[in-house]
Amino acid sequence: MGFGQFLSAPEVKLRIVTYRDIFQDSAKVTSLFGEDYEKLSAIIKLDPKDLSKLAIKEGDTLMLKNGFGKVVVKAQNSGYEKPHTGTAYMVNSPWSNVLVPEDAGGTGVPEFKDFEVLASSAKGAKVTGIREII
Amino acid sequence: MDNDNYVCTGCALLCDDIDVGLENGKVAKVHTACRKGFAFMKGCSNPLECTVDGKKTDVDSAIREAAEILRNAERPLIFGHANSSSGAQKRAIGIARKINGYIDDTSSFCQGPMVEAILEGKLKTCTLDDVRHKADVIVYWGADPANSHPRHMSRYSYFPRGKERQRGWEEDRTAICIDVRKSDTAEICGESGLYQIPVKGDVEFMDALVSALSGKIPKTSYDFDKKRLLELASILKKAKFGVIFAGLGMVYALDDREPLYRLMDKLNSVSNFHLIPMAGHYNMRGFNQILFEETGYINRVKFNGAEILHGPEYSVVEALRKKAVDAALVIGADPLTSLPRSVVRHLEEIPLITIDPCQTLTSVKAKVTIPCALVGVESGGTAVRMDGVEIGLKQIVETDRLSDEEVMIRISEAL
Repeated sequence: MGFGQFLSAPEVKLRIVTYRDIFQDSAKVTSLFGEDYEKLSAIIKLDPKDLSKLAIKEGDTLMLKNGFGKVVVKAQNSGYEKPHTGTAYMVNSPWSNVLVPEDAGGTGVPEFKDFEVLASSAKGAKVTGIREII
Repeated sequence: MDNDNYVCTGCALLCDDIDVGLENGKVAKVHTACRKGFAFMKGCSNPLECTVDGKKTDVDSAIREAAEILRNAERPLIFGHANSSSGAQKRAIGIARKINGYIDDTSSFCQGPMVEAILEGKLKTCTLDDVRHKADVIVYWGADPANSHPRHMSRYSYFPRGKERQRGWEEDRTAICIDVRKSDTAEICGESGLYQIPVKGDVEFMDALVSALSGKIPKTSYDFDKKRLLELASILKKAKFGVIFAGLGMVYALDDREPLYRLMDKLNSVSNFHLIPMAGHYNMRGFNQILFEETGYINRVKFNGAEILHGPEYSVVEALRKKAVDAALVIGADPLTSLPRSVVRHLEEIPLITIDPCQTLTSVKAKVTIPCALVGVESGGTAVRMDGVEIGLKQIVETDRLSDEEVMIRISEAL
């Protein structure tokens, strides 16, 4: 797969909302550097319409980027009954924190739970590893 | 199996009914705890080693180096504390005072605003035991205890039969979830119990509830079903003992606390409502209370001789963003995991000391790493639960590692 495929992939602007997950959190406690923690953290939950717009399937990798950083994570169908096109969900983790805006408006509280990214297909690319993040 | 009950330091519920099984002086089995507590009490798979500049060393040398870094710094930061014993927190504040340092904790970008309002007497609160025995209307607002505090609903807030709630959740309690998505907690609250609002729709929802509680027609720009809002107001009004569990979803949606004060004032003029912040780490609230007693502030402090400076500019986020600090000691936290990557980059540019039982992303970047005992397992002490109740922690197993408090005492002495 060449770099050109990334350039031609459709880009979709997404509003990211973060959440907590007990399985991911306990995997962190067990081993922050372990496979389970990465598997449960490096994911994004999307509305099925956004999966279509991005021309990807569940389990494919997605590049998420904004002015603060970029990560490759796996796409999942959120499974939520209520449609949420344009809004996607990420578990709170070092992967989501790569994308959280630095500017907290002088308040000392970054927008952990509400920020924007540009998403594009990264089919075939590996998920960003935790050691690459730091 | 040991018959004594122990306290789980996996989160700020500090569950005190934990049984453990020991094998060869280690915790081999953990009974009663949740999935996270079980993992926490069994200990980390990557224990922290004592190092200076990436090379293994003895504790005395690492402590000497840590003291040297702090002594030479002009604007040092001491950060973390949420996963530290109260004893270590007191010592950390003492060190910050001694070296004219910045001191801040995770509440600075978490539940700080709620804890501050409670300690200043601006929000009515209660204990988790009150909730278990008395609460009939329980509101989880921007909170998902099913994931963040897995035994919250079963031990305290929804499922138990309390003294005045003998019919339990089936008849005696109503659970309500106000959230931007259908969380696992929302599933438990049921279709009628979930009030799904847009992201950052909380302030309008609070004001609409105040209107509904005042007998006016509630309005929101996102056109939330007025009938449902009036029904919710009616449930809240009839509560004999109501409680709002404020999660980060609510905290981050508020630019200031005025809308929450308006709602709580209204609720308490027509009913009886309390608020408990859903503190995550096991002793975040303890740090807030100790610093508050000593300085009048719960976080974001800089000591400057006899003067105590306070404000967002002294928060860990702004201090790192503006590169205002020139050395840092991190204890009981992992800012490289929990803060935006772009904010914590400055920690890699300054001498960094990490004190923790386990390897963390922060420890990977530290010049000095000092392992300490796992509080509640390898060392005892006290901690403060999310509702402000102090809980005693017992040591379960022996270790040759110093407790977190002992490490801080030794650094203070070396200074």
